[in-house]
Amino acid sequence: MGILAYRGVTKRFGQHTALDQVSLEVEPGEVFGLLGPNGAGKTTLIRIGLDILRADEGEVLIFGEPPRRESLDRAAYLPEERGVYRRAKVRELLEYLGKLKGMARPAAREATDRWLERVGLARVAHQRVESLSKGMTQKVQIAACLMSEPELCVLDEPFSGLDPVNVALITDLIDERRAQGRTTVLSTHMMHQVEALCDRVAMVHQGRLVVYGKLDDVRRRYSLNEVIVWTGVDLVALGMQAQPYKAGSWRIALGPNDTASGYLEGLIRNGVTVDRYEPLVARMDDIFVRVVSEEL
Amino acid sequence: MRMRLKRVSAVARFEFLAVVKRWSYLIATFGLPLFLALVSGTVLGVQTYFLSQRAVESSAFGLVDEASVVDQSVFESRDGARIWTADGNDIIFFDDAETAAKQLEEGVLRSVYVIQSDYLETGEVRAIQSDKTPLLSMRGTVIEPILRSLLRKSLLGGEVEKAVEERVINPARFVRSRLGPGGAEVASVDEALELLMRTTIPLFLGILLLTALLSASGYLVQTVTTDKESKIVEVLLSSVTPEEILAGKLFGLGAAGLLQFGVWSSMVVVVALAASAALAAVVAVPWAALVISPVLFVLGYLFLGSLMLATAALGANAAESQKLTMGWAMLAILPLMVLVVLLEDPNGTLGQTMTWIPFTSPLTVIIRLSVDAPGVAWWEVAGSIAVLVISIGLAIRVGARLFRVGFLLTGSRPSLKELWRQAR
Repeated sequence: MGILAYRGVTKRFGQHTALDQVSLEVEPGEVFGLLGPNGAGKTTLIRIGLDILRADEGEVLIFGEPPRRESLDRAAYLPEERGVYRRAKVRELLEYLGKLKGMARPAAREATDRWLERVGLARVAHQRVESLSKGMTQKVQIAACLMSEPELCVLDEPFSGLDPVNVALITDLIDERRAQGRTTVLSTHMMHQVEALCDRVAMVHQGRLVVYGKLDDVRRRYSLNEVIVWTGVDLVALGMQAQPYKAGSWRIALGPNDTASGYLEGLIRNGVTVDRYEPLVARMDDIFVRVVSEEL
Repeated sequence: MRMRLKRVSAVARFEFLAVVKRWSYLIATFGLPLFLALVSGTVLGVQTYFLSQRAVESSAFGLVDEASVVDQSVFESRDGARIWTADGNDIIFFDDAETAAKQLEEGVLRSVYVIQSDYLETGEVRAIQSDKTPLLSMRGTVIEPILRSLLRKSLLGGEVEKAVEERVINPARFVRSRLGPGGAEVASVDEALELLMRTTIPLFLGILLLTALLSASGYLVQTVTTDKESKIVEVLLSSVTPEEILAGKLFGLGAAGLLQFGVWSSMVVVVALAASAALAAVVAVPWAALVISPVLFVLGYLFLGSLMLATAALGANAAESQKLTMGWAMLAILPLMVLVVLLEDPNGTLGQTMTWIPFTSPLTVIIRLSVDAPGVAWWEVAGSIAVLVISIGLAIRVGARLFRVGFLLTGSRPSLKELWRQAR
């Protein structure tokens, strides 16, 4: 049973259909990538999942049941268009948002201190949010989202505007959540983060679900059955159909019935010294561009 | 759907503290009464100073009797002149107009009155002012009735009985009284004073209530705009329901408004207590209105506030939100627009009707209780409160739905069709 499930969800705004019969499930404990170009309907999908908007058609289940106030206490959301009370002090804001999630005041205080420490902002606890840099403000928002230790957390573009150190921090936090068995829905345009973090992905385009499945399966599905061979041997001179790739490497398109492992065995049999061998799996960036271009 | 009180109180507490810590709030709440007291004190002080200065200046007037009609027995010789002192003013009798005019030029006199030789035929008395005397002189308005009385007395001298002469000079002294609730006559009051008290106190209470209502509502519009512009509303809506946000904001900002109202109205209570003591119960202080006004303030605020919150959320920006909420404010102002009618006939059809309309009832009930508390039945007050409570419940329900729609459909104002669809 999915922790968050959409079944035939359709949402219209006037004449515009934002979501068209979308069905997908987010499984417990995974990091789920929600992808798609700008305006594809990702935010609408998230809002419907968290009962901020209501679907026109279809069904949404969160923790196995239609959204209820109690179930929403077990979830948290970091929207892409992030909002903060800029005049509030950092600590006040976090305590307030913790209490809105149902935390008692002492628990909200304790969680505030712990999370400010965790994201490296303990020293600015008594400063107004408006005095913080954009990156620091974003970390406050991420702390606010995670401080109630939600079972389901939806992060919309959590890496935007962050320096590499803070990107690494957020990556660690997401990995920690997975290790703790907590579910994270990650909506981002940073495809290398998707590749590094996500277990499964869904891509929405023009309101429709166009890609959905395990990350590895999706990448393989869109791969062209090619391998890269790093070797000092001139493969073309050996009569192979290889194209020079980077220095000391060759790109080889395999036949429809060839497998990467079978091809490697053949190379070794022919006495080719292989320094490094890599089946070429499609990158999420390429898949994204390809899917969006095909749909245009 | 039942609201979770802890969430509502968390929103209320946050909103309350966010407002009361602002400089603008502190200045408006505590600084404004002090400022007003300072300004009115200064104005009164300056006025008193200048009036007293004027009082010690020359208050002498010249009188020339060319018609030989004035009874000179009231004038006494002093410092070589014939002077009559009346109500603190010296009226100096001159035999000829030239001497009087000379003293007028020298600034000894403020003005000279010349009873013309053909006075008996024409009644003409020429008043000549010095160029230093303002055209509209308070002194002029005081001295002329004195001279009229002197002329009446002089013309009647010995012709009629003394008592009749006195009545011709002072034909009537009005002794005013009015019936109390039990039909008994109560102490007489000065009409001007009563009129002042009858109109000033309700007007003041009304403006106070309205100012506090609009001020609190202003905070509501501000908070909605802040939430909308800062985009925090999605975070809030993923934790609490629109009803809980709306109720929390209403209570938190209402408490801030009530605090402001409390500070301001305490000034009225102080003034009322002082007036009550000073007038020795001659004029009734509208205690019923003063006591009920906080209750009506809270109810009126909750009703108008929930409507204002909902409509403010529909605006694309602060200016548009402000415009959208103006309609509610205009409805609340209605009783002040018809104040003259309510003062004249507080228990008439208009007053009674407006008591039952939730937009107008807070102010109408306060005005009616201020003007004529015994004329307002208890069930009218209770009924208006009940109507307000029911209206608040409805306004919060409808308001919360519009609030959600308004918040999420950012960038453009939703169409009426979309509003209707979402609000169902």
